Amino acid sequence: MNVLLMGHPNVGKSVFFNRLTGANVTESNYPGTTVDFTKGWMKIDGEDAELVDVPGTFSLDPKDKAEEVAVAMLHENKDAKVICVIDASKIERGVYLALEILEEGYPMVIALNMWDAAVDKNILIDINNLQRILGVPVVSTVAISGEGIKELTLKLKEAKPIKIEDIVKNAGGLT
Amino acid sequence: MKLTIDQRWDLIDKIAKQTVTFGEYRHTLKDAIGELTIKPFTGIPIAIAVMYAFWSIFSSFAGTLFTDGFMVKLFDGHFLPWMQDIFPGAGGWLYYIIVGDPLANNSFEALGVLTSGFFVAIGVVLPAIFIFYLMLALLEDMGYMPRLAVLIDTVLHRIGLHGYAIVPTILSLGCNVPGVAATRILETKKQRFIMMTLLAIFIPCGAQIGIMEEVIPDTMGWVLLYLITGYFIFGYILNKIVPGKSPEFLIDVPPYRKPMISNLSKKVWGRIVGFFKVALPFVLLGCGIVNVLYLVGFIDWVGNVFSPVFVLWFGVPEATAGPLIAAFLRKDLAVAQLSVIEMTPYQMISAVVLVSIYFPCVATFAMMIKEGVKEMLGALAVLFVVVFLYGGLIHLIGILLGVA
Repeated sequence: MNVLLMGHPNVGKSVFFNRLTGANVTESNYPGTTVDFTKGWMKIDGEDAELVDVPGTFSLDPKDKAEEVAVAMLHENKDAKVICVIDASKIERGVYLALEILEEGYPMVIALNMWDAAVDKNILIDINNLQRILGVPVVSTVAISGEGIKELTLKLKEAKPIKIEDIVKNAGGLT
Repeated sequence: MKLTIDQRWDLIDKIAKQTVTFGEYRHTLKDAIGELTIKPFTGIPIAIAVMYAFWSIFSSFAGTLFTDGFMVKLFDGHFLPWMQDIFPGAGGWLYYIIVGDPLANNSFEALGVLTSGFFVAIGVVLPAIFIFYLMLALLEDMGYMPRLAVLIDTVLHRIGLHGYAIVPTILSLGCNVPGVAATRILETKKQRFIMMTLLAIFIPCGAQIGIMEEVIPDTMGWVLLYLITGYFIFGYILNKIVPGKSPEFLIDVPPYRKPMISNLSKKVWGRIVGFFKVALPFVLLGCGIVNVLYLVGFIDWVGNVFSPVFVLWFGVPEATAGPLIAAFLRKDLAVAQLSVIEMTPYQMISAVVLVSIYFPCVATFAMMIKEGVKEMLGALAVLFVVVFLYGGLIHLIGILLGVA
């Protein structure tokens, strides 16, 4: 199985990658630390899966060379599952990227990362409701301390392709 | 089904309304510090203080404490005499390559592979990169870098770049190789080309800074001044002549975070491993190659042939040919070799600037090829022009000041 770690720059993808594979990818507190993809192996239910740390991208419409690498990675791995990492305190724009990836038919799990920072900012997210609308597993995580990582890998096998029409319907239709 | 951009935002709006509630936000100390470091009035003095602290910790730790206080004593007092004593065949060619000058009484002047080579690598460069990367990792993990980027944005627009170009630039101060890779975060080809060219020419790496701190502590300020000035002058010119766009700068400034010891040590450890795998062999190899080239008379020949260029145009002794050849492998080694050539302080400044701006080291060169052969060739063409013009200009300034 192929798993891609995707999300905006500086949401903690490399931290996830190191947690999940035990590798040593550089992590920094500024956007753009990962400009090339890195691959590693992780275990899901005793099965080997290849995990790719994809450079951060805001959308699937690339704005720089690192984003081009990200979009190319996604399109080269048609049968991959995606872990979409979203900054829990900036959920709207994170969901934008998630929707774009879902529209292309990729099965997905969403990690609402930096959950602790969102709690500090008094931002409350109804995870169950979000899960219901999007139809994909949503897990709150604090990658840096390892919270939620285990649950995330367990949910990975529940990920399946979603019809956008269903999301629209669950959200109560478009205006 | 695919949504249009507007439909997507519309949908997100609906989803967010049903799932997210924003509570009252309280301004924290972190926010206050965040604002102080980003508003120009307070941010610029803080940036200067941070840079100054960075520099003084770097030079006192690497230079004064480790190299002078410990390594020089160890190498000059024990290792060098021991090598000179124990290695057979003093005066022979093998002795010359491996140990160097049998009468040298300090590790810079011996010039042998196992004497000067080891000393430069372990005694000078290793402590320098250790402390450099430790402090860089601290600044990175705290989240100071994007704030610095915002502060310097206006200045960098003048040379066709934007604030974020500070990231490749600072990374290059450690080593040009990750610096070149980091140019990918810039949006357009034009920006990447300008950035890569400026990095390859004007940004000295941590190893080179460490060695300058050791051999020319009094004049290295001038070297750095020439390099920074060149960075801006030629950046300005490149911005005017390279076609393409330089878009505006949008960045997320992340919150300050407490650096984690595990991540810091992992980063620094990675650098140290890289040093032993790549830098150390190249320093020793470079040392050996230059010694062999001396023995076969190649360097004297190059010195003679290009003597007019060296002496008349650049105003440096023709003996600098040797270090310039070594500079292709390692800049730190080249500066160490320059330091034992007889010349005036101003010639030394010019020679060190030349070593810095002339050809990037082989590792950087390889990385540039990886980023695009066309860009690399373009950067090299610019480099030749710059070396010639800027080298001559520095000589001219020396003549006008009456010090050349």
